[in-house]
Amino acid sequence: MLPFGRFSRGVLSAVAGLVFAVPGASAQAPPGRHVKASLVAETDAVRPGQPLTVGIRLEMEKGWHTYWRNPGDSGLPTRVKWELPAGFSAGEILWPYPEPFRTGPLVSYGYEHEVLLPVEMRVPPAVPGPQVRIAGRVDWLECLEACLPGRADVSLTLPVRAAAAPAPQAALFAEARRRLPKKDPAWRFSASSAAGGVSLVVRPPRGTDLREAYFYPVTPRLLDYAQPQKLTREGAAHRLALARDPNGAPSDRLAGVLVAGTSDGSWAVEVDVPLVSGPARTSLKQERNP
Amino acid sequence: MKRLVFVAVALAVLAALGPAPARAAAVVGQPAPAFTLTDSQGRARSLADFEGMVVVLEWWNFECPFVAKHYGSGNMQKLQKEWTAKGVVWLTVSSSAPGKQGHVDGARANELMKEKGGASTAVLLDHDGKAGKAYGAKTTPHMFVIDAKGTVVYAGGIDDKPSTDQADIATAKDYVSAALAEVTAGKSVTAATSQPYGCSVKYAE
Repeated sequence: MLPFGRFSRGVLSAVAGLVFAVPGASAQAPPGRHVKASLVAETDAVRPGQPLTVGIRLEMEKGWHTYWRNPGDSGLPTRVKWELPAGFSAGEILWPYPEPFRTGPLVSYGYEHEVLLPVEMRVPPAVPGPQVRIAGRVDWLECLEACLPGRADVSLTLPVRAAAAPAPQAALFAEARRRLPKKDPAWRFSASSAAGGVSLVVRPPRGTDLREAYFYPVTPRLLDYAQPQKLTREGAAHRLALARDPNGAPSDRLAGVLVAGTSDGSWAVEVDVPLVSGPARTSLKQERNP
Repeated sequence: MKRLVFVAVALAVLAALGPAPARAAAVVGQPAPAFTLTDSQGRARSLADFEGMVVVLEWWNFECPFVAKHYGSGNMQKLQKEWTAKGVVWLTVSSSAPGKQGHVDGARANELMKEKGGASTAVLLDHDGKAGKAYGAKTTPHMFVIDAKGTVVYAGGIDDKPSTDQADIATAKDYVSAALAEVTAGKSVTAATSQPYGCSVKYAE
């Protein structure tokens, strides 16, 4: 069994030296912490009126991890509070799909080694000054077996120009984007309540054979994360049986990320469908993924 | 949409998680799982000893920053004092296995509770994690309220602000007090479940 992300780490370490050589990128890690946070940009300049993608880069000591948007049975998602120039606004964190961590009977979702959390920024049509400073306070929970809260003030100064080129750290963004779940109407989903659980019916694109799948839930307090997810074939469709959290909350939607291994490579697809009561249909009309 | 060559690797890791152990849980509306544990004074304590009384179970790991939030601020001790004074049984449970974070023997538990001004009815030592697993205790803290008939009436977080920041306590919704106020008044609990938050319970692997 290969450790997850070996390929990604190779790519990341290849560009790491370049990233540290970039002026304007700053990082502060309080002594004794096990995660270093920094802020990087995808381009080498800010263009007035054009969106800018920045990323919160978390570099974790061996064995330590930080958490996904749904941390699972324990933990906390990474958060950022921005301090932006006038007219700038920041979108939500775009979360690359995580990996699962099992400790005893519990499962949590997060990242090991390194992750870049991209954030898209709106840039106003007029930006005064030759340069801008983008800053944020990043809060996270870092865990090996024990956990520590982490916090860093990160910032980035970029020149304001009419044209921008990819920054040296653009490769980090390309890597993160490959792990962002996609909205893809070729993948169709429907979900229904089943005895003690939830059934997610998956219809992959025509001609694609689904071999393995794991569902990372985004809907809070619906599913029991530690239970196995059983994939069975039903004609052209597949059913993924998910266990409910017995002390969970009712929901009329099922949202999450399906990571699928298929005859046509591997995919991470966004799922956000109504959760209906009664058995999910596999042969009739299917709910399209929005 | 581009192919993701490394998803297959992720799936290999997922497969390696192996089958999950069957997970029991204390489910709201159902009888509370029975247990007998040794307390920090060396006495055997069973849930059955408290028949006819309202019982709180608080999962505890003194080294966890989420627990430190509620003990460092005095919030947990305040709740323990307030509700034990009203006749509620408050049991603080340590399921940290030997060698794991927060593991305590009786003497250490007593020392820590004395130092912090803890006011639980008893600190129960669940070194093999049996009681924790029977309840489905996931985090420290993770809170359960059991009514006088032995039915689980609340399972979830101590409040609605999942953080390690003491400043959040003042504005958080105190689910445990709300549940206790209702159950001791003979009412059904309005918010009977919530998201537990904190460190994972440090069970033996």
